[in-house]
Amino acid sequence: MTPPPPPEESAAARRRLGQWLRDRQKHGAAALRRAGVLGALAGALVVPQAWFLAHGIAPAVVGTASFRDVIAWLLPIPALLLLRFALTLAADRAALAGTLDVKRGVRDELVRRLHALGPAYVQAKSSGELAATVVDGVEALQPYYLRYVPHMTALAVVPLVIAACVLPRDWISGVVLLVTAPVIPVFMLLIGQGTERLNQQQWRKLAQLSGRLLDALQRLTTIKLFNAARREAAVLARAADDYRRTTMAVLRMAFLSSLALEFFATVGIALVAVLIGFRLLDAELTFEVGLFALLLAPEFYAPLRRMGADYHARMEALAAAEHIVEVLEAPVPATGHARPVLPQRIGIECDDIAFAYDDDRPVLRGVTLALAPGTTTALVGPSGAGKSTLLSLLLGQRRPQGGRVRVGGHDLATLDPAYWLAQVAVVPQRPYLFAGTVLDNIRLGAPDAPPEDVEAAAAAAAAHEFIVALPQGYATPVGEHGHTLSGGQAQRLALARAFLKDAPVVLMDEATAGLDRESEARIGEALARLARGRTVLVIAHRLRTVQLADRVAVMEDGRIVEEGAPASLAAASTRYAALLRAAEEGPR
Amino acid sequence: MSDLAILRRVLRLFTPYRGWMLLGALLSTLTVLASVGLMAIAGYFIAAMAIAGLAGVLMNYFLPAAGIRLFAILRTGGRYAERVVTHEATFRLLARLRVWLFDRLVPLAPARLAHERGADLVARLSADVETLQHAYLRLYAPALTALACTAVVVALFALRSISAALALLALLLIAGLAVPLAVRRASAAPGAAIVQTSAQLRVAIVDSLQGMSDLAVYGATERRILAAQRLGDELAAKQRQADTLGLVAEGTLTLCAGLALWSTALLAIVAAQQGALGRVEIPMLALAALAAFEAVAPLPLAMQRAGEVVAAARRIFALADLPPVIPEGPAASPVPRDASVVMRNVRLRYEGASEDALAGLDLTVASGQRVAIVGSSGAGKSSISRLLLRFWDYDGEIRLGRHDLRAYRPEDVRALLGVLTQYTHLLNATLRENLLLAAPGATEDALLDALDVTQLRAFVAAQPQGLDTPVGEGGVRLSVGQARRLAIARVVLRDAPIVVLDEPAEGLDAHTAHALLAALMSRLAGRTVLVITHDLAQVRDLVDAVVTMERGRATRYLPP
Repeated sequence: MTPPPPPEESAAARRRLGQWLRDRQKHGAAALRRAGVLGALAGALVVPQAWFLAHGIAPAVVGTASFRDVIAWLLPIPALLLLRFALTLAADRAALAGTLDVKRGVRDELVRRLHALGPAYVQAKSSGELAATVVDGVEALQPYYLRYVPHMTALAVVPLVIAACVLPRDWISGVVLLVTAPVIPVFMLLIGQGTERLNQQQWRKLAQLSGRLLDALQRLTTIKLFNAARREAAVLARAADDYRRTTMAVLRMAFLSSLALEFFATVGIALVAVLIGFRLLDAELTFEVGLFALLLAPEFYAPLRRMGADYHARMEALAAAEHIVEVLEAPVPATGHARPVLPQRIGIECDDIAFAYDDDRPVLRGVTLALAPGTTTALVGPSGAGKSTLLSLLLGQRRPQGGRVRVGGHDLATLDPAYWLAQVAVVPQRPYLFAGTVLDNIRLGAPDAPPEDVEAAAAAAAAHEFIVALPQGYATPVGEHGHTLSGGQAQRLALARAFLKDAPVVLMDEATAGLDRESEARIGEALARLARGRTVLVIAHRLRTVQLADRVAVMEDGRIVEEGAPASLAAASTRYAALLRAAEEGPR
Repeated sequence: MSDLAILRRVLRLFTPYRGWMLLGALLSTLTVLASVGLMAIAGYFIAAMAIAGLAGVLMNYFLPAAGIRLFAILRTGGRYAERVVTHEATFRLLARLRVWLFDRLVPLAPARLAHERGADLVARLSADVETLQHAYLRLYAPALTALACTAVVVALFALRSISAALALLALLLIAGLAVPLAVRRASAAPGAAIVQTSAQLRVAIVDSLQGMSDLAVYGATERRILAAQRLGDELAAKQRQADTLGLVAEGTLTLCAGLALWSTALLAIVAAQQGALGRVEIPMLALAALAAFEAVAPLPLAMQRAGEVVAAARRIFALADLPPVIPEGPAASPVPRDASVVMRNVRLRYEGASEDALAGLDLTVASGQRVAIVGSSGAGKSSISRLLLRFWDYDGEIRLGRHDLRAYRPEDVRALLGVLTQYTHLLNATLRENLLLAAPGATEDALLDALDVTQLRAFVAAQPQGLDTPVGEGGVRLSVGQARRLAIARVVLRDAPIVVLDEPAEGLDAHTAHALLAALMSRLAGRTVLVITHDLAQVRDLVDAVVTMERGRATRYLPP
């Protein structure tokens, strides 16, 4: 596994992520804009509300107004409240619609990108972590678009409206509000910037924590087998505890910004009240104006306080965005686009191909191999020789760093990958069985294939018999990694997939275990049936399979060291003869 | 179990952190009351000052001014302390829940979990456990705070005006309880669906990532993407339903707060005109009524989460409550007299299977004997090691070290066994960590020695990071054969008197397999060894006896 990338610490990187978040509003732009405008309108309604209230209350406190005068001022207030309720709801619904659209858009971008990046990228990561990015990472964006974005609009409008209404009537209160307000975001920003970086690290740690847990659960049986459950539980506890400690260190800092916010808002309200009080004592102010200002003071700070909560929503969204952007900006390997007409029977040539996963660990060191159209070639060699890597190169999942793969006379690198894969059926050693029934798994490539065709394919793959013996036959669900099926059974399902696909090229990595002699024989027969008329490369572990091939290539240490017809090779080659002897030792 | 019973049970799980939780709620109550006090005293202060100013008399303003300062400090400091304490409690709960659930799952593996998908499991563990943390921060703590604050504020109101107190109580109950409860009832179904659908979405994503290669080859990628999109849309539809209801509840809260301000002003004015209330108290009560809604403000969100919390807790408890197939076993294990294994008329049928996996198996392996067990797939070979490991229970008798297998604690049995399972499971960790799993105290020399036996030493030496080379998820960075040999090295390290090797040559070419098996068997000299294989030729020369199995029975016994 590659070490995690260094945290994006620079302010420029953070700005870039912030820009990315803003750009993503495009997925729900109209709705989000509407939400901002409606929200600001609803927020501004507190001004007339306070005005009516102050004029209703003031005469009752300091004057001798009749009850009827009071009622005249207080009566319109419920109507104002209802209007505000309706506007707020409309704003929130618009924000929700916009947010869901953004999440949908980002998730789709992510999933498509991951498929474009291909198995080579996914295998280098942990699929648990990537799934967490797609599901939880996208979910973590919600508060940003649902709250932060519309609230920012309200923040820009509502306090200004309030200040503009208070200032002409009570300039001292207006000045107090206007002076304390800008201090708050400044302080929050100062404290927030430091914690933001730490927060991003926390998010990464949480993803690792989840990855570790997935791993532990998937290997629960192995852990138990080695009596390691208690140790593993201790490790999990320690990891969670470390996470708590470091997260709390971050939060204690992050909460300082809310402390500053609370402090200035509270001081602002207290100051407004005290200054109003003294001017009332000196009769420098009328009571209704004083009450009006005091009623509006908490409303003035409310959007700021709300932003205090939203600010953490933004930090979380930024941290999630870092993971999302990492995937979205991973370079997709260049692919060809050509879709030339390929012959009925396709030949494959490997021309001096070299490949290494890391620079210092070459796996293929100049492989040259020709698969004649319609023939079967067995690839043999010790484990670790590079056989499986060669297979993934022929699939186009990885690019050779040197040399070239030619299929039907065309450079594989120039072909549209989907077009090439349509010509190929693959029978991997560990076929992946998807959550679903046996039937779904066989018709992976042809979901509408009629049951007769599926059964015919399964019969050809020597799988029909064991499938009908399963508790629910073809409708039996298969578990992750096909654990309820043996290795041989899983491979026969993969063979059935291949029969159903009926592609001109077949690549197979023969299963080595879980096969008794009978199912081994049946897989051999199935493979022979499948090979008829197709170009086949099979990584062979069994003599029987090798004998079925037209040609044999012996691979060792990243090179093809010998090649020829099985019989002639057996007579002439020492290496091949040694492999044969090893396979033949003991009567079969 | 009813929702309330579930919530009570969640609370019981949290018992060890009761102190933290109560402290958090107390601080939160203090903060809200300070807020109410600040606004009330500010209202009283300006009214008193205005009346004094108009009357042209002096008034003692020191006391109310000091009150304003006190409440301002309480509110600021209280908010900070409350947030720190409630979050501390939450993370402690999170850690405890994870470990608690892991501990509950261990006895269930693998028998009870055979049908659970790994991704679904982890979706439960991490997402559901994270949902449960809302139970305190967003459910229990706000509910407690709202209750305490409402009681205090309404009682103080009642001292001044019964009618204003009743109106305030009614509005607080509507905004804090009635509407959120109605919303919660309405959003229970979508809430549960959200948890379930996002778990499905996660499984779909993991599936399409891990099976990416097969999907591409079979042209099924676009279909999988669209299927995931459909799940995403389904999730969004449920979220729209649940979140809209939540937004209505939040809007109602603002509406009720405004109405409380208005009705309190109205009622206070009426009371003042009747002489039942001082005029100076009108703004005090009105502003306090408005501020009191801070106590119930988190409740709509809290109730909205309650549906998700209950659904998540229900799923977690359903999994955790599955009875283990193996009873706890006795407190202490007998000391085995030797390393023999004897099975008499042993029967086993897996859940949901139509046939016995073992149908009266008789097998005797003397201490130090090496026996090959051969037979076609499905003959029941692998079930033998599962029974010895006490992963499944059985009928009949098994004796190990001349004591009944059931007389041992399962953990002690496993300490006697070195088992290579049919499938290789590697941790997504380094080579070293994977080896140390089998023998946590092993020295560097012991590790290298085990790698020697399995002929991996040269490979490891060639890695720039040596033993600290990561193996990748499920060991993908190793070839199948290398992964298998690493698994065998673990068994060597285990140094157990009884060794079971299930298909030791899986993934190895004939040449490597032959050399490795020879080295391994000579290394295991003196131990009791059971080799389960479909290919007798590989081990014929290396064992003392061969047992053939068919349909869950031993049908042939060939002594050397």
